Amino acid sequence: MTHLFSQTVWLVPCYALIGAILAIPWSPGFIRRTGPRPAGYVSIFMTLLAFLHSLLALKEVWHQAPEYLSFSWLHAAGLNITLDLEVSAVTVGAAALITGLNLLTQIYAIAYLEMDWGWARFYSLVALFEAGMCLLVLCNSLFFSYVVLEILTLGTYLIVGMWYNQPLVVTGARDAFLTKRVGDLVLLMAVVALLPIAGTWNYTELAQWAQTANLDPKVATFLTLALIAGPIAKCAQFPLHLWLDEAMEGPYPATILRNTVIVETGAWVLIKLQPVLQLSPVASQVIIWVGAVTAIGASLISIAQIDIKRVLSYLVSAYMGLVFIAVGTGQTQTALILIFTYTIAMSLLVMSTGGIVLNNISQNLTQYGGLWSRRPISGICLLVGAGSLVALPPLGNFWALVEMGDFLWKTQPVLFGVLLAVNGLCAFSLARLFGLMFGGKPTDITLRSPEGLWLLVLPMVGVMGFTLHVPLLLLQWQLLPDLSTLNPSVIFLLVFLTLDGFALGSIVYLNENWQKPVRFGPQFLQDFFAYDLYTEKLYKVTIVLLVGIVSKAVYWFDRFIVDGFVNLVGLATVLGGQSLRYNISGQTQFYVLSILLGVSLLLFAIAVPLLNLSF
Amino acid sequence: MELQLQYFLLLAAALFCIGIYGLITSRNAVRVLMSIELLLNAVNLNLIGFSNFLDPVAIKGQVFAVFVLTVAAAEAAVGLAIILAIYRNRETIDMEQFNLLKW
Repeated sequence: MTHLFSQTVWLVPCYALIGAILAIPWSPGFIRRTGPRPAGYVSIFMTLLAFLHSLLALKEVWHQAPEYLSFSWLHAAGLNITLDLEVSAVTVGAAALITGLNLLTQIYAIAYLEMDWGWARFYSLVALFEAGMCLLVLCNSLFFSYVVLEILTLGTYLIVGMWYNQPLVVTGARDAFLTKRVGDLVLLMAVVALLPIAGTWNYTELAQWAQTANLDPKVATFLTLALIAGPIAKCAQFPLHLWLDEAMEGPYPATILRNTVIVETGAWVLIKLQPVLQLSPVASQVIIWVGAVTAIGASLISIAQIDIKRVLSYLVSAYMGLVFIAVGTGQTQTALILIFTYTIAMSLLVMSTGGIVLNNISQNLTQYGGLWSRRPISGICLLVGAGSLVALPPLGNFWALVEMGDFLWKTQPVLFGVLLAVNGLCAFSLARLFGLMFGGKPTDITLRSPEGLWLLVLPMVGVMGFTLHVPLLLLQWQLLPDLSTLNPSVIFLLVFLTLDGFALGSIVYLNENWQKPVRFGPQFLQDFFAYDLYTEKLYKVTIVLLVGIVSKAVYWFDRFIVDGFVNLVGLATVLGGQSLRYNISGQTQFYVLSILLGVSLLLFAIAVPLLNLSF
Repeated sequence: MELQLQYFLLLAAALFCIGIYGLITSRNAVRVLMSIELLLNAVNLNLIGFSNFLDPVAIKGQVFAVFVLTVAAAEAAVGLAIILAIYRNRETIDMEQFNLLKW
């Protein structure tokens, strides 16, 4: 009985799934009279159950060795697919984090979706995400990770396409689905190829296998490159990052989840696969440089955005890039802590800006200003979120970034430079966000801006409280790096860059006298970053154009060559009939001639062998 | 030059060819019947030639020729009667007018 909750931890995804199903009847087409609100309440209740269950399970497995559960899913000749679960402090802790964030987000959504009828759809999709992510963190099998990733890709498509009467939503959902699908498909190639090579899909066994594996370097390179393609798309890394920008067309509460936990599904798989990725040095380099380029590029793009949600979405890409760097350099433990602290900070940032967008309508940063005196709670939340996202002691991310920076300082100073730059740029971007929204004079749209409903403020403040407690929690869990062993210059440089970024952002954006809109450098460079390095155009002239031309060519080939050939046979038969009927001339004498010709030919054919022709 | 079987056969073949030509090309139905008579005569020439040169004792060919003549006469009678019947209906004996089966 002592392990009742950890033994039944597989129930956690089930609660959410049940919640997803129970929410559906309140769709406007089924229950027509009472409105959609019970869908949300049911879903929140099930999420609460899942959260409590995972907390209790976490308490049981704390300081315990990981337990493994296994269910047989499919047993066919020579292939035995089992659903393996790992019940350890990390996985159950991740499940608790996911369910907890979901709980707060769903409460937040009650307020946010006040004027919306689509609660059943929204809540069942959010619950589906919760179930998928809980299963993803609990499952210990690459195959089922892939299954869940695919289901979540479909879920992204549906939840981004929530308000599908808006054309941008439809294109955004399309791009989100296709981009993530491409990555998943390449991942599937690797998943399928890994089974004959390694003989297992179990992460634990894969790690053991990877220690002694003796692979052809080419095979290892291709395999690992395919394995990282899935996380690259999932985590919105360059060059598959456009979908996250366009996914910002979806509902704001879903954005909280997307920016924090959903993009981390890819990072989770990447971390789990880290032992396998070590097989190929090329793959590690690719992970590192994809992460580094994304981190720098996305933080620069973030500075040039004028849309609140998009400022944050590019920061998501940047921080996932840092996770990639951590995984590429082999710091899985740091990557996990970074994910944990980042999740809390980013959810706080999205929540605080969401409440402001809800009752100021516009997402355009250039129309904001002077909210500080009217929206102090949101402002403080934004500040706390910003502080805890960058390396600002003693808040959360500082510890992860310092640990990572120390490691990189010793091993790869170039990457440490990247980390410093990203930290500074993100600090600048956040200071700009705060300055444009809360600083300056009130504008027309912020003139009357009340603080949100208690349902909106409560989860936000809850997350803020949690954010502030993150360092204490890390201390409690003995996850803090030992400061005495760290290089002081690393800490100094990181904090200096953070303060630099904040200070520079404040000088530019909190200063009334600085000309707005701000001009840095040449206009084309500013446009280059504001338009996301023209990625949309890049897709259009490369892959979309290519696939378009190929599909047109194939369509043309089918339509005219293949179809035409078959039609030609029919046409030739028809024409043959049409023309051969003129043999029936209606002249008796012609028939006689035909008979005579036939008879003479027959006789000739009979006679030729008898003639004994010898020339 | 001595008369040989080949000459008879060649003459008969030539006559047969002329008959065929007339049979195919004539537009007048009576000329078609006349061409058939040519064909039959060519056959008779063959029969008599063969009986003369190859079977001078039993002369079975000549008996056949008598039968062919008889049947040719009968066929001509029936043929002319058919042509007459058609003429009474169609008011013409042009072979190219008798094309009920034209596509």
